[in-house]
Amino acid sequence: VTLSFLQRRPDSGLGNIRASPGDPSRNIDWVLMLTQYALTVIGCFIVFSASRTRLDDPYAFATRQVVFAIIATVVMFAVMSVDYEWLKERARFLYGFTLVLLALLFIVGQLTGVDRISFDLGPFNFQPAELAKFTTLLVLASYLADERSDEVSYPRFLGGLMLVGAPTVLVILQPDLGSASVLVAMAMGVLLVAGAKPRYIALISVLAVATVAAAFIGRLVNQYQIERLRVFVDQETSNPQLQDAVYQVRNAVRAVGTGGIWGKGWLQGPLTNGRDIPVMWADFPFAAVGEQFGLVGASVLLSLFVLALVRIWRIAHLSRDLLGTYLCAGVFTMLLWQLFQNVGMTLGIMPVTGLPMPFISYGGSSLITYFALFGIVQSVHMRRMR
Amino acid sequence: MAADKRATRLGVLALVGVILFSLVGIRLWFLQTVRAEELQDSVTVSKTREVPLVPERGRIFDADGRILADNERVLTVGVDWQMLRKKADRDEIFRRLSGWIDVPIEAMEDRYQSDRYSPFLPMPVKEDVREVDAIALLERSEDFPGVSILTEWRRVYPYAPLAAHVVGYMGAITEEQDDQYRDLGYNLNERVGQFGVELSMEEALHGRWGKRVYEVDAANRPVRLIEEIPPINGFDVQLSIDLDIQQYAEQSLQTQLEQRRQFTAINPVDDGVPAFPGFPREVNYKAPAGSTVMLDHDTGQIVAMASYPTFDNRWFNAGISSEKFRELFPETDDPDQSILVNRAVQGQYNLGSTFKTFVAYAALAEQLITPGSYYQDTGSYKLTSIDDDVCASGVRCEFKNSICAFNGLPCVYGSVNAELALAVSSDAFFYKLGEEFYLRGRTLMQDQLELFGFGADTGIDLPYEYGGRVPDDESKEALVAAGVLRPGEEPRLLVGDNVQTSIGQGLLAATPLQLAVGYGAVANGGYVLTPHVVKALYEPGVPDGEPGFADLTLGTVHESRERSAEVRQIPMGPELRDPLVNGLRRNITGPGVNGRSTTAEELFEVGYPDTAIPVAGKTGTAQGQGNYPWTDSSVFAAFSMDPTKPYTTVTYLEKAGFGSLGAAPVVKCIFLALSGLVETAPVAMSDPLDPTSSAVARPQRLADTSCMASSDASERPVD
Repeated sequence: VTLSFLQRRPDSGLGNIRASPGDPSRNIDWVLMLTQYALTVIGCFIVFSASRTRLDDPYAFATRQVVFAIIATVVMFAVMSVDYEWLKERARFLYGFTLVLLALLFIVGQLTGVDRISFDLGPFNFQPAELAKFTTLLVLASYLADERSDEVSYPRFLGGLMLVGAPTVLVILQPDLGSASVLVAMAMGVLLVAGAKPRYIALISVLAVATVAAAFIGRLVNQYQIERLRVFVDQETSNPQLQDAVYQVRNAVRAVGTGGIWGKGWLQGPLTNGRDIPVMWADFPFAAVGEQFGLVGASVLLSLFVLALVRIWRIAHLSRDLLGTYLCAGVFTMLLWQLFQNVGMTLGIMPVTGLPMPFISYGGSSLITYFALFGIVQSVHMRRMR
Repeated sequence: MAADKRATRLGVLALVGVILFSLVGIRLWFLQTVRAEELQDSVTVSKTREVPLVPERGRIFDADGRILADNERVLTVGVDWQMLRKKADRDEIFRRLSGWIDVPIEAMEDRYQSDRYSPFLPMPVKEDVREVDAIALLERSEDFPGVSILTEWRRVYPYAPLAAHVVGYMGAITEEQDDQYRDLGYNLNERVGQFGVELSMEEALHGRWGKRVYEVDAANRPVRLIEEIPPINGFDVQLSIDLDIQQYAEQSLQTQLEQRRQFTAINPVDDGVPAFPGFPREVNYKAPAGSTVMLDHDTGQIVAMASYPTFDNRWFNAGISSEKFRELFPETDDPDQSILVNRAVQGQYNLGSTFKTFVAYAALAEQLITPGSYYQDTGSYKLTSIDDDVCASGVRCEFKNSICAFNGLPCVYGSVNAELALAVSSDAFFYKLGEEFYLRGRTLMQDQLELFGFGADTGIDLPYEYGGRVPDDESKEALVAAGVLRPGEEPRLLVGDNVQTSIGQGLLAATPLQLAVGYGAVANGGYVLTPHVVKALYEPGVPDGEPGFADLTLGTVHESRERSAEVRQIPMGPELRDPLVNGLRRNITGPGVNGRSTTAEELFEVGYPDTAIPVAGKTGTAQGQGNYPWTDSSVFAAFSMDPTKPYTTVTYLEKAGFGSLGAAPVVKCIFLALSGLVETAPVAMSDPLDPTSSAVARPQRLADTSCMASSDASERPVD
């Protein structure tokens, strides 16, 4: 792996004419990258505001988030620097590795009797579900790109379904319904762009709903997940068992609502400063944005996401090959869905899941995953002239 | 590949994005503009928190400042309910606290689950923690979010069980009291006075709750103190009770009741047939209960008031189980065994001959007789107003004097006037007055009797007072309607009822306190007073003096009740008073008439020297149900004739025999004690209550009973 774009030779006085216009290093989408970093910087501030009152060291989480961002940057540039075709060749290996990790996690969980969604690696927790987002996208896009046709054939559709299904089921078993929904959404996005018939998409939807229903009925999910769903169905419930779950959502909605148009101001949000919204720095950072910066601030933040999505969409469009398009479509859908899910639950229009808000929520796994995903999008953009 | 198809599909994806963003955007706008105000309100409502500040209850002192009811500071560890709402937080806090306060986690969880703690105060997890532990917790408040130390007060009665019936006790607010105390601004979790002065002076003793209002953040942590209203402590209450005399009165009361149980009443035998078949030849007096009350008849202050059986009022704060409580205070329908009644103000008694004083007054006042009117007492009285043939048909027309012990026949006193009739307690004299009153006017006697306060509450500042009954048409009708009397009883006052009333029997009902007020009015020249036990209210915080005492000289009197309002002044000129006082004095000193001693003469001639307070008094023997000799209750009322020691004392011993043998010795002892002629035991603070004890009160006994000695040898104790 050579980081060629970092090794530009000194300018010879004639401008950088040694590099051709098609050189990947000259085709970085700086708008996307700036947007991404703007979001990450905002995220660090939001994490600080949402966690400082609850920690011995108010900077602890924000500092760690900065460190995560630095690590994520390294990962992103590594992904950018390699050709995505090169990654495609190793997709199966990465995918298999992910499945092994997921299965291992499941087996460890079964043996210890404790539900696990991460491996404890000392300084930080590693969540294989996050890795699965990256590798499943890679393997699915590679698999579909091999069929050089406008439409996805039924056998290939089934194959793709199985590729997505295996990690999805393992993630559901963790149980991490939020991450599983991201995988499903990604698959739908990629398959849609790849030309799956509407009825295939419908089939995925039915399968996804059926799987979730089966998980609930079969009690594969946790008590708190059942409570969250019940609360979502009946938000005004007075059932005392559900009060904790109600309380969380109600306060998140209050935090956003009380922000009003202009917000309470930086570090001036009583609900953000208080302890009413559990794990706010990871699960409800958007409530902190809404309360402190109001409709205006939240709109600015969402606009940055729109900008990022537009750029990704554009790259999908620009890509000359199917793989690039599919990869971008997958990242687009994942980001869109996860954003909608997280913001939606903060606003009380989606049930509560543990899905973090991309770039904003505290958490290394999520941040690194999205940096890697954006890296692959950049990689597509950089090599579109090829 | 057809790029346009791919573009179309990407377009679909973009469309999905637009839709989802629109949803979020609309919802965001809706929340932050339309609902912003409403949500702000819902947050602001919970932004202040009130912490109630408990007032310290006023203390209760005796006349000398002895602390009869005190408060002990109790530190309680409490946890804010908000902090416990979530199971995980709760477990965490309980886990941390458990080691520090030595309470198992499960016990705290049990408390959380039970609904007996007020939601307005932090949930108490441990009461009575040591000061050092409390400080240690406060110093680590960072580690114990929501944990606070509450200062509470526990009522203690350092001299219990002395004056327990007067001081009273505390208890939880009952359901019936809910509304009343809620209106008064009480926290319904509080304990309030439920008996005695604790109850009657509840509002003065209680003080007023204060509060601290904090602005809190969303986590309910105080951010800023908005308002503080300090609590107003309760007034300290000084009683007129003198604990030295109180203790002596309780000791002599209990001692004499126990002694009386050794004596027997004889079941008279007439021609070999016992008068009360089914009973042995001699029956022991049960002497289960009694009371004594000492009144300052100049001021209306109660100096001592004892009721037996008594109790230790610390049991009510001892945190004992309900089983233990029932063991100590058994639920009973037997009035002999009732503990939680103050018999001096709640007893519903016949007064026997002690009542004759008032009938004599009525006759003199209505000029039925003059001091010089003599009547020939032949041992019985036959009604004149009922025809002989009616009498022959079974209506009771003949009323006999009580039996003289020396011959077993009704006593015959010969020629007696009012003074002598009181001195020797001639029944016939008063039977005649009873009939004459009845013939002159149905309420004539009653009106005079009611002047002394009979048939109405005295208005004493103690709860549950019984107002008594002076028999008249109305009260008898009520009794008949209630089915209390024998079936077929006429629902109006008959001449026989009036005759019975005239010797303090029959339908008459009065309390020992009423008797004391009545005698007090004779003693003080006609002032019928409202008796009272509260002497003064002091501003909160009278400082302590010697151990067990408050230093009243350093206190500020808020309201003095030294002298009570008089209910009325009744005519008591010498022409009315002298025959009464002379008769009552002669009852004590003799001589009698017709060879008979006066009723109290033999008692007071032994060990009651001239240097003792001169007293005038009257014995009474009230017949109980069935007229069995062994159910006679014993009464004695006496007042001091020394104006510097204006005390009236009444003792009533239930089912304890003749007044001269049962109650009178108690009164004699008390007056001897007041005269300083017998040694009284020093009053000491009580040892701590032993929660395993099965005694409802520590016994009170006289060390020396020689003051009860009498030359009357008419009965002997059984072995």
